[in-house]
Amino acid sequence: MYGNSKNWPFFFSLSVVSILFILLGVKLIYLQVIKGEYYRGLSSQNHIRVIVTPAPRGVISDRNGIILADSKSAFIVSAVPSEFNRTNTALVEQQLGMTEGELNEILDEASAVPHRPVVLREGLSVEKVSSIAENLYRIPGVMIDVAPLRRYHRPEDFCHILGYVGLADTQDSFRGEITGRTGLELRLNETLRGIPGLQREVVDALGRIVEEFRGTSSEDPVPGGNVSLTVDAELQSIAITELEQTGMPGAAVIIDYENGDILCVASVPTFDPNMFAQGITQDEWNAILDNKDNPLFERAWAATYPPASTFKVITACWLLSEGLISRDYMPNPCYGSLTLGDTEFGCWTSHGRLNVVQALERSCDVFFYRTVQLGSIDEIAEYSACFGMGSRLTNVLTGEKTGLIPDSDYLNRAYGSDGWGLGNLLNISIGQGELLTTPLQLAVIAGIIASRGEMPPPGILLQREILNPVLSSDVVTDSAFDIVTEAMLRVVTSRRGTLYNAFSDSSLDFWGKTGTAECPGEDHALVIGFIRDPMPLAICVVIEHGGHGGSVAGPVVENILSSYLAERGEI
Amino acid sequence: MVVSESGLFSRQVLWVVIGIVFFLVGTWISFRRLEEISPVIYLLTCLLLMATIFLGGGPADRWIIIGPLHIQPSEIAKAGLILMSSWWLSSLRVRPRKFGELLVFLTILPAIILTLLQPDLGTSIAMIMIVLAIFIWAGYGPGWIYLIISPFLAAVSSIHIIFWILFICILGLILYRRRYPFSSWLIFIGGNSIVAALTPMAWNLLETYQRSRLITFLDPSSDPHGAGWNIIQSEVAVGSGGLFGQGFLQGAQKELAYLPARHTDFVFSVWAEETGFLGGIILLATFFVLIWRITLAARKSVNAFNSLVTAGIAAYCTIHVFVNVGMTLGIMPVTGLPLPLISYGGSQMIVVLFLLGLAVNAGMYWREV
Repeated sequence: MYGNSKNWPFFFSLSVVSILFILLGVKLIYLQVIKGEYYRGLSSQNHIRVIVTPAPRGVISDRNGIILADSKSAFIVSAVPSEFNRTNTALVEQQLGMTEGELNEILDEASAVPHRPVVLREGLSVEKVSSIAENLYRIPGVMIDVAPLRRYHRPEDFCHILGYVGLADTQDSFRGEITGRTGLELRLNETLRGIPGLQREVVDALGRIVEEFRGTSSEDPVPGGNVSLTVDAELQSIAITELEQTGMPGAAVIIDYENGDILCVASVPTFDPNMFAQGITQDEWNAILDNKDNPLFERAWAATYPPASTFKVITACWLLSEGLISRDYMPNPCYGSLTLGDTEFGCWTSHGRLNVVQALERSCDVFFYRTVQLGSIDEIAEYSACFGMGSRLTNVLTGEKTGLIPDSDYLNRAYGSDGWGLGNLLNISIGQGELLTTPLQLAVIAGIIASRGEMPPPGILLQREILNPVLSSDVVTDSAFDIVTEAMLRVVTSRRGTLYNAFSDSSLDFWGKTGTAECPGEDHALVIGFIRDPMPLAICVVIEHGGHGGSVAGPVVENILSSYLAERGEI
Repeated sequence: MVVSESGLFSRQVLWVVIGIVFFLVGTWISFRRLEEISPVIYLLTCLLLMATIFLGGGPADRWIIIGPLHIQPSEIAKAGLILMSSWWLSSLRVRPRKFGELLVFLTILPAIILTLLQPDLGTSIAMIMIVLAIFIWAGYGPGWIYLIISPFLAAVSSIHIIFWILFICILGLILYRRRYPFSSWLIFIGGNSIVAALTPMAWNLLETYQRSRLITFLDPSSDPHGAGWNIIQSEVAVGSGGLFGQGFLQGAQKELAYLPARHTDFVFSVWAEETGFLGGIILLATFFVLIWRITLAARKSVNAFNSLVTAGIAAYCTIHVFVNVGMTLGIMPVTGLPLPLISYGGSQMIVVLFLLGLAVNAGMYWREV
């Protein structure tokens, strides 16, 4: 045995080892047996808090790069329910200008997920947030973050196109995250929102950050994608102004018929979407709701109107293309009305004998009552569907309506197979009856005529796929295009034309067709048409309850186009 | 090394398999042959440590990386130190020479300094402790040990005048009882005074994280969000285990990643959280029995080298278990010493299993006689 003369190293070593292990054992007893309950409590209060940095929402600009919507920095004050001490309620309510009990209400609502911060106030300015920042040390659980606030630069002009945003309140959204509520903000939300940044923090029982989370602790926010519209902000602004000057609700749509770019989709009355971004007050909200003209309602694609006499363009195309009439065919004269059975179908004046060009020029109803009987209701329904009626033209405009083309199936369902007859066909031929279209569809009809069927489907995003023309090639014959185009020019140039007065002083060469839609109260005034020079523009203007199309909507069309072209220095 | 948790598991299994091979090599190897090549082994470990200094970049970089292999030379150096100091002390027993003990210290100094340069204060102190334990086993008394480590004690006692007076008094008592000549008094008292005076300057040379670790050890609550946080969270984890623990793989502290280095340095906290006091005390008792058995083997070994190596292995195990578990329980500073056989890490696992193989080898030897 080594070290046989000395036994002490062995016993010395063994005692040292024993003492060390006893020390460990004693501390283990202290931690686990004596203080076990205390530490178990502490352990359960540790948790991970997820802090979200909202991604800057994508910028929306017009076709020329004018910024329509972007983000500016604002502050959010939020609270973590589990960390907030309710004795501080009064202080926080006072600092944030909340009503008594409001804070407790918010916290109670959020107590289901107590570790996730809830927003108390958003969109605060530096001045407003500074007083709470000074008191932050007294109110654990309350925090201030910078969050991008949506800002609209031409709020009224683009309120319906862009829509507005609001605070996301779904379970999988984050504190302060905004989301599109209506319009393109809603439809393009996934593109615009970006990806919020995440930061995980380990928080102890007192709500203090004790360390960054280990592992994938943070992800930087990815900014949202930018979107360019086909709309020209200047034209949009002119259209809104001109529509507002009529004093009546209305809509205007202008499309470049060569490429389908929607250059203007105006709807009045308007509202200020910034109110929603900054937190709308109850009074402001009530004011919007109480407005009988409903500013929130989009009229260019979400409203439907009877196309009235503007539809005669399609009826004429149909009659001519199907060979039911020729250019010079004249049915029996118009005596101011047509009697069918015991129902009298009126015309607005007595026109006498007319051919199709004259009938369009003077908007004679009786001509179409007589000629339409050469075909059937299903034929004209099928034909008008080729022009985009009865279906959505885009897939990005929220609430876009299809309109309605009544066919025999529809009428059977609505009235029973015996409940309708030739009268319905007569009404449809002049764009009345059950027929409904959106102003956007009417502008497209004008564009199809102008482009002789070459116009691609309309679109509002600059970056988009240009699809095949709306109209398939053999629907309208060349001669039908020639004749209808000639008639639409005469509507403006002929002394008897319904748009003669509106364009008598104009330097524009305009092709148009008026409509006066019969409805309860004053009639809706409609004009569709196009210009070829200096730009290929198709237009539709609808003035609700405006009265006669030619005299009310006509000048609006003329003013919008000439102001815009003058501004561009093209006329 | 960034490896997923499941990747860690399969790697650790691989280390254990390789380690068992080394364990068998340890049980099979001839101690006589081992004694002959001990200086060579030590020299190689020193070269490895040197390679870390030159190849490893940046602070706290303690690995040599060869392809997928991450070798931690300081772990291997501990085994080299045990062999080297045992070799020296057993040869001194056969052929004593003047200043022989000083030669031993001079020989082991490179390994310790190279470890200190890594910088790894904890491991270098552990190395010194292992060598001292081997000295004690060789029969050098406490007074002698006190004299050897007096510069270190002088440095520590320099923090307060009371400690300093106490240190000098004990030093004088030992010198007096050993009837050392005046020249020795001059060397020990004078030399230690210089060390004590230089300590505050040396303190400034310590790495910031080492200083903060020492300070935090003295008062963990002084910095609850910084380095002390590790200790507090570890105590919370251990404490919340209670009597019977929160169940295997159920540790909340571990799951939520509150525990730092939970598969390496703080592995005992996870064990204690999940198995409670019962599991903790069983693990400690197992280690105690293991160390006790190794010490018995050392006591009954047939020759000096076998006995000293085996004692060194016992010291190695004791120091690692005490420092590591003590750290998780908040009675030792955070040093980064692994828990033998349990912490994740290939170098450590292989070295420990090899050393245990040697201990078994030594134990078998005396049974046969």
